[in-house]
Amino acid sequence: MIDASRIITEALVQSGSDVFIGYPITPSNLFYSYSKERFPEFLAGPDEISVLQWMCGYSAAGKIPVTATAFPGLALMTETLNMAYMMELPMVLVITQRLGPSTGSATTGAQGDLKFLDGIISGGFPMPIFSPSNFNDAWTLSNKAVKTAIEFRTPVIILTSKELVMTQRSFNINSLEPLEQINRTPKVFEPPYKPYKAGEDKVPTFYPLGNNEYQTRFNASTHDNDGLIRKGTPESLANTWRLREKLEERINEYSFFELDTDDGADDLIVTWGVSADASRDAINLLRKKGKKVSLLIVKTILPISQNIYNIIDSYKTVTFAEENMTGLYKEMIFGKRKNSKVKVATKFGSMLTPSEIEEIVN
Amino acid sequence: MEAVKKILTNTKMPFCPGCGHGVCVRSISKSLENLGYGSKDVIIVSDIGCSGLVDPLFATHTIHGLHGRSPALGVGVTLGLDNPNKKVIVIQGDGGATIGLQHILEAARRNIDMTLVVINNLLYGMTGGQMSGLSTNEFKEYKHSNDDADPYDVVNLAHQSGAAFSVRVNNISNFTDVLKEAISISGFSLVELSSLCTSHGLKKVSEMKHYIVAEEKLTNNRPVGVSIKQNTISLLDRAKILTPQFNSKIKDGIGIVIAGSAGGGIQSAAKMLAQAAILSGLYATMKGEYPITVGTGFSVAEVILSKKPIYFTGLEKPNAVLVVTEDGWNKVKNRITDNSKVYVDAKINYNNSFITKDFLKVGGKKGAALSAVSYWVKESGVFPIEALIKVTENSKYAISLQKAIEGAEKLRELVYVEKK
Repeated sequence: MIDASRIITEALVQSGSDVFIGYPITPSNLFYSYSKERFPEFLAGPDEISVLQWMCGYSAAGKIPVTATAFPGLALMTETLNMAYMMELPMVLVITQRLGPSTGSATTGAQGDLKFLDGIISGGFPMPIFSPSNFNDAWTLSNKAVKTAIEFRTPVIILTSKELVMTQRSFNINSLEPLEQINRTPKVFEPPYKPYKAGEDKVPTFYPLGNNEYQTRFNASTHDNDGLIRKGTPESLANTWRLREKLEERINEYSFFELDTDDGADDLIVTWGVSADASRDAINLLRKKGKKVSLLIVKTILPISQNIYNIIDSYKTVTFAEENMTGLYKEMIFGKRKNSKVKVATKFGSMLTPSEIEEIVN
Repeated sequence: MEAVKKILTNTKMPFCPGCGHGVCVRSISKSLENLGYGSKDVIIVSDIGCSGLVDPLFATHTIHGLHGRSPALGVGVTLGLDNPNKKVIVIQGDGGATIGLQHILEAARRNIDMTLVVINNLLYGMTGGQMSGLSTNEFKEYKHSNDDADPYDVVNLAHQSGAAFSVRVNNISNFTDVLKEAISISGFSLVELSSLCTSHGLKKVSEMKHYIVAEEKLTNNRPVGVSIKQNTISLLDRAKILTPQFNSKIKDGIGIVIAGSAGGGIQSAAKMLAQAAILSGLYATMKGEYPITVGTGFSVAEVILSKKPIYFTGLEKPNAVLVVTEDGWNKVKNRITDNSKVYVDAKINYNNSFITKDFLKVGGKKGAALSAVSYWVKESGVFPIEALIKVTENSKYAISLQKAIEGAEKLRELVYVEKK
């Protein structure tokens, strides 16, 4: 018997994460206790703001820090998350969704934080958010999270839900594939070294604070290639634009999804995270009854790649299956306006069931 | 350490004419140079406000963060550095010091090896000269402010929290020497430097003595705070591997709800049920529900067993509901459907269609749930009872757990006798 908290923690460590810094919060508590056992370094912060500030310090010093929290903690971390994004500091945050608003119900799962995360970087900048749908995803996406954080110099979020990370399952751990080893060597750059001067891949070469080779500067304010505050200069604005471009232009490098196609199907179920398993069961129920229907499980939930739009556009009817009130991912794709092509199977306060999805699809 | 180089760049000071911040920056630079630090040996962590304009002045590594958060950022940098000979200097103003007061206290409590310089010009300079939490009552009166709350004494607060060295310096001619002392000390040092704001506050250094707090110097002799690194082993290596050695005859999935009270072994019984099922070649899921105060009230566990892989882990219509206490009954009674076979302890109010047994009597408070589970396992024939006994073998409570299972067997014998 094993839970996804254990799998994610282990995968993050095996992928090269150096330190876990946290403040315990339900339902992310298992990450805290497993990390205390497993990470090479573990620090208990006095509050979530300190946690993320300490992580930024570690990251700027060349380490890969990890934390795990839920919405109330994430809300406190938001200003510092913007700082980490602006400074281009690699790190991983595991967010376990629970029922809100506010403190809501700490021990009830939900998929309600998506819209908050979509706008969490002031200015609407993209930030990679991975949402595992099962234990195997938990393993591989944690590895991808560390890799993406390092390669793109960005915070990355692993978005989970209470039922996914706290439910114990029988599981064959031999089905977990060896994880990709992630290269941490600084990239070659065109001299002279400037901490925010990027090449074609739009990601500047990272040298940590305290290194003996190059003076380096990190800056949370609008800055030039030297890392110094510059208000509204072409160079500093281009530097800020670059934060968007580096993630959007190479989105396919970190955009993951699973598509189970039923040839000739007009119907598509689109789902993510904890609702994926209910959707897998729903697909089986529907197909047994002769209904042709395909299933799209979105794993890089944000930013949304063109591939996702293309798949959705190729079906006549799309049902979004989510554990929230109105279908928040659906609203990312289609907005709030009613659309005859779109249906939502949603649930608030408990898990969305396979039969409820089946009913909406029919 | 690298060869000594100039700590300051040639950049012109960005401050207003007469502003005290320039003196503070030069003093920091001079103290570092006098102590032999090279530019790449130093990390300047800057805050927001006038004191946050310092980055281009320093030829060192720099990191410019958020308002009030720089002491916390400095803690992360200090602990994250591989080379303990590097020096972290955090610079913030009196505004930042109150926004992030908790961060200062935490750095002091942990005695992190860094120096925090609080440049106190008694007001918020960048936003128009409003009073700060470090503005003295005399200065507030001078500025006709009606806030009469006494200012924070950050020097004393840092000291009380455990800082190795905390000091307030008003005389600018002593800035460099005191900074040198602070930087040289192992552990957390806080240096509050009194500074002029000529745009919104006082115009002359000579006026300051009427409006500032007296100098003080406080020390604690404590170990320096470090982050301890540990060698660990894989969490997967510690996972219990269960290889099937029994058989199960079930074809479809079965959902079981087990309900009782906190401390009654409900979650353990559920886990043993799931593990025994895995030993019998089944897939299993298990989840628990209990109040956030885990030591009181109900405790409910859900277990799903199936011959096929299980995707959805919710349990809409339980096939079996095992209840051993009133707390548990009140929590799950509404989940019972026509589909559910219900087993309740004899002490609970029940209706005649339920199977009522003395689980509590034979299993005891902590074993009742396991007695109920083993009773159900035997009756349903889901897998051999030996699988359940097998999972108890390595438990430190093996004897009492096996007694609970045997007790359930006696309950079955009673049924037999009754039928006779």
